Amino acid sequence: MALKQISSNKCFGGFQKVFEHDSVELSCKMRFGIYLPPKAETAKCPALYWLSGLSCTEQNFISKAGYHAAASEHGLVVVAPDTSPRGCNIKGEDESWDFGSGAGFYVDATEDPWKTNYRMYSYVTQELPQLINANFPVDPQLMSIFGHSMGGHGALICALKNPGKYKSVSAFSPICNPVLCPWGKKAFSGYLGSDQSKWKAYDATHLVTSYPGSQLDILIDQGKDDQFLSDGQLLPDNFIAACTEKKVPVVFRLQEGYDHSYYFIATFITDHIRHHAKYLNA
Amino acid sequence: MEEEAREEPELPRSTAPKDFLFYHMDLYESEDRLPIFPEENTRMGREVAQAEMTTEPRAAAKCRVPGNILEEEDAIARLYGLEDDHELGEEFAGENAHGKDLSEFPPCVMRRREAAREQRDWRVGGEVAEAEDLSFGGWGSTDQCQNLREAYRYTRGRSSEEYECYVIPEEEDEEDAPTVFCVTCKTPVRACEKDLEEHQEHQVTPLEKALESAKDEVHKNMFKLEKQIIEMENFASHLEEVFITVEENFGRQEQNFESHYNEILETLAQKYERKIQVLGEKKREKLEALYGQLVSCGENLETCKELMETIEELCHEEKVDFIKDAVIMADRLGKFLKTKTDVDLSAQPDFEDQTLDFSDVEQLMDSINTIPVPSAPVINPQAPNSATGSSVRVCWSLYSDDTVESYQLAYRPVQDNSPREDQAEFTLTAKETYCSVTNLAPNTQYEFWVTARNRAGTSPASECAVYMTAPSPPIIKTMAIRSCEEAALISWDSGNLNPVDSYTVELTQAETPEASGVTESVVGIPTCEALIQLQPRQTYTLYVRALNVGGPSARSKPATIHTTGSYFHLNKDTCHPWLTISEDGFTVIRSERKTTAREPLPRCVAVRGNLIPVRGRHYWEVEVDERLDYTVGVAFEGIPKQEDLGTDRRSWCMRHTFASSRHKYEFLHNKMTPDIRITISPRRIGVLLDYENSKLSFFNVDISQHLYTFNCQLHHFVHPWFSLGKSGSLKIHNGISMPKHVAFY
Repeated sequence: MALKQISSNKCFGGFQKVFEHDSVELSCKMRFGIYLPPKAETAKCPALYWLSGLSCTEQNFISKAGYHAAASEHGLVVVAPDTSPRGCNIKGEDESWDFGSGAGFYVDATEDPWKTNYRMYSYVTQELPQLINANFPVDPQLMSIFGHSMGGHGALICALKNPGKYKSVSAFSPICNPVLCPWGKKAFSGYLGSDQSKWKAYDATHLVTSYPGSQLDILIDQGKDDQFLSDGQLLPDNFIAACTEKKVPVVFRLQEGYDHSYYFIATFITDHIRHHAKYLNA
Repeated sequence: MEEEAREEPELPRSTAPKDFLFYHMDLYESEDRLPIFPEENTRMGREVAQAEMTTEPRAAAKCRVPGNILEEEDAIARLYGLEDDHELGEEFAGENAHGKDLSEFPPCVMRRREAAREQRDWRVGGEVAEAEDLSFGGWGSTDQCQNLREAYRYTRGRSSEEYECYVIPEEEDEEDAPTVFCVTCKTPVRACEKDLEEHQEHQVTPLEKALESAKDEVHKNMFKLEKQIIEMENFASHLEEVFITVEENFGRQEQNFESHYNEILETLAQKYERKIQVLGEKKREKLEALYGQLVSCGENLETCKELMETIEELCHEEKVDFIKDAVIMADRLGKFLKTKTDVDLSAQPDFEDQTLDFSDVEQLMDSINTIPVPSAPVINPQAPNSATGSSVRVCWSLYSDDTVESYQLAYRPVQDNSPREDQAEFTLTAKETYCSVTNLAPNTQYEFWVTARNRAGTSPASECAVYMTAPSPPIIKTMAIRSCEEAALISWDSGNLNPVDSYTVELTQAETPEASGVTESVVGIPTCEALIQLQPRQTYTLYVRALNVGGPSARSKPATIHTTGSYFHLNKDTCHPWLTISEDGFTVIRSERKTTAREPLPRCVAVRGNLIPVRGRHYWEVEVDERLDYTVGVAFEGIPKQEDLGTDRRSWCMRHTFASSRHKYEFLHNKMTPDIRITISPRRIGVLLDYENSKLSFFNVDISQHLYTFNCQLHHFVHPWFSLGKSGSLKIHNGISMPKHVAFY
């Protein structure tokens, strides 16, 4: 698992770097962005994983979210992987923006032709953390996860499927109930097949109902003027209702006037970084 | 042999009084004690003359001393079997030489005289006369004194320097050394010796054991001696004091006598002058009268003679002329004879009886043994910090010439509105020039005046001086204490009716028992309130004192302050009539009752907490029921209670409403709230007020969940508010440390 440094830029005393490596899970070259705060030069830092949304690469978050100042201040290593395998030469992988390349949906595909490469769930929960732990000054015990839209869905299911693995979770405009929204239906049927009962294993709202109740503080920000919210792609109410029912702590903030963009993310990214720092640096 | 020698000194010491004698000599001869009698050197000429008179006896004493020393040395040496101990003898000689040097020092002589006088009380009878003799025969007792002094020196010297002598020298440990000790004969015996047979009937102990017991005995004696030495030394210093007092008293009396004698002599001289003058005048008067008489007598005689001559001449004249002249002559004669010739003595030669009046002199003579009436003492102004709440220490001074037996201190409280005479007057008698007057009222002015009296009478009263008792201790309002991690705001009741000058807050840190006592004081507080800077997370005990010119009051009852978190009480004055506050002061209850309000009640059913006005971070928690409608937040001071919290720009709050099994959480400021949904209803809400970062944050304490943060410009101080929309209760927790997770906001 040789790491190849693609770029390195000094940022807020630390370094924003991009690496490339050969992924075993995904059987392709994968890139990820990693921010190493100044503190990482002398000590092991907690790792915070960011999962991006549909059509994004590792670049969107590191260039647009403006999280570096907060991450530098709190001493967090922030890891931002790509959103899907790339260049696998699967037929139709680049046909649509909401399926295939840039739309891995953080599931382990079970259907041909995707099941060989599209194992993003295992990649972000297993392979990537191991790689990071082995190559960077991080504390393997301290990790949290967050994401945006499809990545918000990814962050929620990673946390809910692995109680205790992540100290905290947060999301911007997450796809909360993919089994009920058009994006989710399209992706899950493609990756997981037509058996909808299998889909529930990757649906945050369903996962909450079986969540064993380990302490997990969830922070969700949602733009009120988000077109995907009104399109019924995100369905946060379903997730909140389930969490209220199951007494899973959520603070859901419906932010007046904000949309689905990185401008919205950049506005509240500091709150999210602090939310994770509270648990990672406790 | 050493042990026996050690026991010997007990014998002379047993005649206890003699030991004291030594001390006097020591007192007078040790140079470092000379300054005790500085007044000696400034004594009047009369005494110097006396001192000079002593030269002769002193010389005699000097001659005698060396002989004495030799005798003494021999005697002591014999006594202790220390013939070969020349060192000791030399030491004595040295000391005596020292004594001689001093005796040539004139002022010392007088001291010796005093000493001699003092000693007479315990002198053996024969020497008393000598001691009292002003020609310093008392000095003749040198022998005895020195004898005893040396004895003392000897024992004392040994006790400190020669402990090692009590150990039996090892060199006696030879082959045929005695191994047994006969108690009866008090002699060591060799065990193998035939001599042992002699001691068969006697009590015999091993030499070691005998040695031990002998050592014990010696040590015991040493201890006794040391104790005695200490006692003696104490007694000596006491004597020194007595000595000084006697000096002073007699000196004063001498001066008194002298002034009286001078006065009498002066009076007598005046009387003599006056008498002599009167006599002289009388004499001159008489002589003048007699002289006048003599002159007129002579004149008469002259005239008579002339007349005779004229008449004789007439007889020799012719008849005609005779007749003519005889007629004229007869007229003249007749005229002359008519003038009466006074032959009575105008002045008697004898002396009219003049009684000499010595009554005033007699009176003066009588008064020699009495003393003058003292003059009015001078009362001192009150010394700072000399008063307590119930007492003052009044001081005054007298004129140094006065002899005073006692003082009468009188006082009465000063009251502006009633005349002086109406106040009850109290008097006290004091022997000293000060008096502590007790059982007074606190923070009250009293005027004091003092008179001095002795056998001869009472002086006029001194001026009046006003003294003030210290105030009563203030009473800390424990229910009004507010604190945070950096400071505490405490207030108190004065505890005094009249105003006091200032207050002092004393604080001790309870965490450090080794640093007991006052660690810090804040002084000069003009009002009944103080903001005290403190260290975080400590426990302090605070006291307050009130101060006036008389001094500080006693400490107030203590108040304990924990600088953990922020601590405040609910302000009952702000409490809505529908709300009640529990006894502990931290539970707010709204009960289901309809009140028929006569006046319009405020809309906001709320109560305010009195937060300390300190910028920084403040944290408190509120325990709520999940189904309760409540509002918690902060508002600027002076917010009109008609308004609900969060409806304007002067308050920020979290409002919970519960309707149709749905919880609604609003974070209201100026009637606006963000749209926030919370999946778990908090049962305990944490509120963090952060002046430094201009933030107000709310937390779900049980799950450390951050709920919302206001960014608010807090230009003024705010206070916590608690409101209840329905019947139910809120419990406020404060004085708790801020949870760690809160520090991220």
